Amino acid sequence: MNAFAGFGIWAQRNRWIWAAIGVLILWLVLSIVTNRFSLSSLSGVILSASFLTVVGIGQMFVVTTGRGNIDLSVASVITLSAFVALLTVKGQDANLAVGVVAAIVLGVAVGAFNSLLVVGLGIPAIIATLATGYVLATATLLSNKAIPGFAVSPALKDIATGRIGGVPIMAIVAIVGVALTSFVLRYTVFGQLLSAVGQNRAAARLAGIRNGRVIASAFVISSVLASVDGLLLGAYIGGAFLEMGQPYLLQSIAAVVLGGTLIFGGSATALGTLFASILLILIVTTMQIIGLPPGVQDIVQGIVVIFVLALAGRQALGRRAAVDPADSEADPAAKAEPSAPTVHSG
Amino acid sequence: MSHIAVAVQGTAAGAVPAAPARPSVVSLSGITKSFGPTLANAGIDLSVQAGDVIGLVGGNGAGKSTLMRILCGAMWPTLGAISFAGEMVAFAAYHTGEAQRRGIRMVHQELSLCANLSVAENFFLETPGDSASRPGWRALYRARARAALDAVFPGNGIDADADVNHLTIAERQMVEIARAAATPGVKLIVLDEPTSSLDLDRSKQLRAFIRERAKAGLAFIFISHKLQEIIDVATEVVVLRNGRTAWQGHTADASIGKLVQLMGGDADPVHQHAVSAASSQDVLVRLSSPLTAGLGRNIDIVRGEIVGLAGLEGGGQKELLHAIFNPEHKHRASVTRRAEAGFIAGDRQKEGVFPLWSVLSNISIGALARRPALGVVSERANGETAKGAASKLRLDNKRFQSNITELSGGNQQKALVARALVADTPIILLDDPTRGVDIATKQDFYRLCNEVARGGRALVWHTTEDAELLACDRVLVFSGGRIVKELAGEAITEQAIVGASFAQPEDKAAGVGRKQTAIAGLGRKLVNAAPFIGLAAVLATMIAINPAVASTFGLDLLLMPALSLVLVTAAQMFIVGGSEIDLGVGAFAGLVSVLSATLLYDQPWLGALALVAALAAYAGLGGVIQARKIPAIVVTLGASFIWVGIGYALQPTPGGASPDWLTALFGWSVSFMPTSIIMIAAVALIVLVIDRLPLGVVLRGFGNNPAAMIRSGWSPTRYALVRYLIAGLFAGAAGLSLTAINTASDINSGNSYTLLSVAAVVMGGCSLLGGIISPIGAVAGAVTLSLIGALLGTLSVSSDYNAATQGLILIALLTLRSLTADRGSEP
Repeated sequence: MNAFAGFGIWAQRNRWIWAAIGVLILWLVLSIVTNRFSLSSLSGVILSASFLTVVGIGQMFVVTTGRGNIDLSVASVITLSAFVALLTVKGQDANLAVGVVAAIVLGVAVGAFNSLLVVGLGIPAIIATLATGYVLATATLLSNKAIPGFAVSPALKDIATGRIGGVPIMAIVAIVGVALTSFVLRYTVFGQLLSAVGQNRAAARLAGIRNGRVIASAFVISSVLASVDGLLLGAYIGGAFLEMGQPYLLQSIAAVVLGGTLIFGGSATALGTLFASILLILIVTTMQIIGLPPGVQDIVQGIVVIFVLALAGRQALGRRAAVDPADSEADPAAKAEPSAPTVHSG
Repeated sequence: MSHIAVAVQGTAAGAVPAAPARPSVVSLSGITKSFGPTLANAGIDLSVQAGDVIGLVGGNGAGKSTLMRILCGAMWPTLGAISFAGEMVAFAAYHTGEAQRRGIRMVHQELSLCANLSVAENFFLETPGDSASRPGWRALYRARARAALDAVFPGNGIDADADVNHLTIAERQMVEIARAAATPGVKLIVLDEPTSSLDLDRSKQLRAFIRERAKAGLAFIFISHKLQEIIDVATEVVVLRNGRTAWQGHTADASIGKLVQLMGGDADPVHQHAVSAASSQDVLVRLSSPLTAGLGRNIDIVRGEIVGLAGLEGGGQKELLHAIFNPEHKHRASVTRRAEAGFIAGDRQKEGVFPLWSVLSNISIGALARRPALGVVSERANGETAKGAASKLRLDNKRFQSNITELSGGNQQKALVARALVADTPIILLDDPTRGVDIATKQDFYRLCNEVARGGRALVWHTTEDAELLACDRVLVFSGGRIVKELAGEAITEQAIVGASFAQPEDKAAGVGRKQTAIAGLGRKLVNAAPFIGLAAVLATMIAINPAVASTFGLDLLLMPALSLVLVTAAQMFIVGGSEIDLGVGAFAGLVSVLSATLLYDQPWLGALALVAALAAYAGLGGVIQARKIPAIVVTLGASFIWVGIGYALQPTPGGASPDWLTALFGWSVSFMPTSIIMIAAVALIVLVIDRLPLGVVLRGFGNNPAAMIRSGWSPTRYALVRYLIAGLFAGAAGLSLTAINTASDINSGNSYTLLSVAAVVMGGCSLLGGIISPIGAVAGAVTLSLIGALLGTLSVSSDYNAATQGLILIALLTLRSLTADRGSEP
């Protein structure tokens, strides 16, 4: 009983554990129910999940800046980046450096543009990134016409599809990325500033934080990661096609929320995003194994997102109450101290 | 909570008048309210008879607001009782709604009107009862608003149809007063600083009105810092001080001098600071004209001194603090800062704490904020630094790992002070830091301030507690946004501060901001006309290149596909009106289209049932979003997968057929006008009508000021459901139109409409913050956006540029709007 309560408190600080438990349970069930499911098929799932993780990490940075910020342009960035890779690398390893630089430049440019709209002009993030997505869609259509062919650089293909000792290289990339992100979030000044801005923007400003810079960095990180992901994803599927980034829009947000990052901002967990990505892909794989039609797969994904949000909503509710100005209509003369509710919820 | 009427010591010093013949309205007895160890109210008795005008006065923090909140049911006392006309009422059953039912109305200092609604509509929100939905309901409230305004403020010239956000602060104040006074069945009106933004004539009118209505038996409580008004209008005066009744008696026995004396002069043992700092050459902050115009010289703030900012609330003290903190701002030329500044906020919840963090993290962020972003954080090093600061504050470092919200207000404040100390800035700005803090912490705090100042830093201290100013070396007294007096050393007495801040400021020119507004208004008008100009330009271009477009057939060909987008836009507009965005609305239209082309075609009853179920699910989504307070964007994005999934499951590939009646519904024609134009106009008209109905007004009210709506007794969940139901109906109609126009269905046919509808709504002039919707503009925006493809075709530009054009139009419009709108201070 006591251990149970202790776990509850620990899990509250380490919300990634729920996604991890989900992965474990689902995997165990699958292994028992179907004989086909094994460690090697799990590595296939992890390979797919790696691509989602990379975008998800970027999305997580944006979500953590708070105020319901979401980057809706990631899907278009992924698609465009895959096309740009075809244009620049042209299937030659010799051009790989150019391709990587192009992907990063694309990411930085899109991120900077989003930041300009959001931070500079005060346009809500969702609308700004939506508009950016439109513009990128046209760029994608144009590059679709310009691409010389669907040749992929062999070296890039090796990274995207290869394995070292049975472990997909992409998975290693994703795990290293997650470890690095966890370090940045936990042990660097930037990570702390990001969390502060996401929790309480007014307090962050008065503490001397330049909110604009922090928010802009988050958008740039998101776009760069999406762009690099697009490059690798293109190599993985051996080309590029319109709408190839589309599934990553909801899934990246779902991975962030499911992983335990607060949708209202201020608290992020890279590890959670990783496990949630695996869980989401595992759910999709399971549905494919069971033989559910694609439509039902969509329905299940949608329900999972809404369900998790509705559950997490309570947690966020308790927290918002602490910040919600509704109670502090008190004029200062009242000397009233709104009782600070302690945040305790499952 | 017990309700024993205990008379705590120190009640009425003056004689309460002998039992009058007039009936009692409400009576409070023995009201005590404690916030932790602080007593905001201590044993206050207050009895209001019909026809009374009670002037309630007291310094900042005397307990007036707490008492009034208790009276209006917004707060429960710790001890005490309330009775209406002799009938005791338990506080457990007493709340804002009950207070209103019993005829108590309060006009708050911070106004509670929905700024996006007209004056008449705001009258409706307060007393919706007799409107029904009959046509002309607005006229009824217009007349009522007119009559109410004229009764209180003759010759006010306020247009009852004007939107409240176009009124000046004074006019809003007048509307709110008139609205409270016109409420049927009202017995007592509490006016909290009603004249703070009114000029002398309006103030006289208000007082005349109060006297007249008091004769008719209405009771008033009049709270004001303007003592001559109190003397002028009140029949009885109650002076509060430190939460107790300092004096209560007939106005005839009071004078301004006496009241000032009664309010101030507490011998609170706040330490007297006596370091002579003026000689120092280390000027850290210089304040100059126009801020100091009243003094005729600059003010320098130097190392080692504590400068207090005093004055009535809203006199400009807070603004100065923020100007010193962030002097780069344009109109803050009168402030020069020469060293880094740290800020200690008194509004801990809103501007202070990071609620997810431990105490330690809350402290160390002060130092982190000034380090390079890629620096590595060490918890141990943070702990060491924080320990030094915390020990000065007697903040137990065993609590460093606790969540900040688990601490008492006083300890939270200590953590915030520690945050400023670890930041180690030469200037520290304090914004009413002892708000709601117990006396022991306050003493620690005063001691620390001294220590810090003696250590060579400058403290600028805004406080709403006049007694605290005695701890300062100098006090700058504010009035009307300017510094009007500087007190130093021995001259700082509570008497002097009260006297200086109560000195009547010359009336603030009401039209200061008017000129700027006019220019911005012109820009805004242009932006608002943009969708119409755009539509006209697009059509004109197309007709110029291809005259055949202007024919009935040509227009129909162009505009019929726009109808679906117009309908989806209408749906989105209602969601946006509630300051949310629906990312699943297009998918929902697609699903309805699939349902109508498959189930509805094959089995009409089952199909109809399925449509109703889909609609219910959609409306339920709104309820979930409201009840769980979760972001609509993500929920609706998730829902879009559900809609699409169901559609796929029903119909994996495009196909199906449109029921004949449905095709006929969209396929008729008249000779004189293109069908599409008639239908688009009809949609616009329906949206407009809904928006003009009381229902639409309520929905917009929620979009603008949900707190005020709830205060007026409206249910947020019910209206969230209604909002989504209406949106669902429009989105459903869009789905039907898709089936009818394409004579088949495709689950993906609606997808592109989601984002386009957001764009159209924004183009049309709706505010994403909610509450402001413009049906005609949004419809024009939707038509324009759907014509972009055809326009590009006419100009022989590749359709690849379609999306980019739409996106760039959206960005351009938003940029224009953000440049013309008045920006908040928030970066």
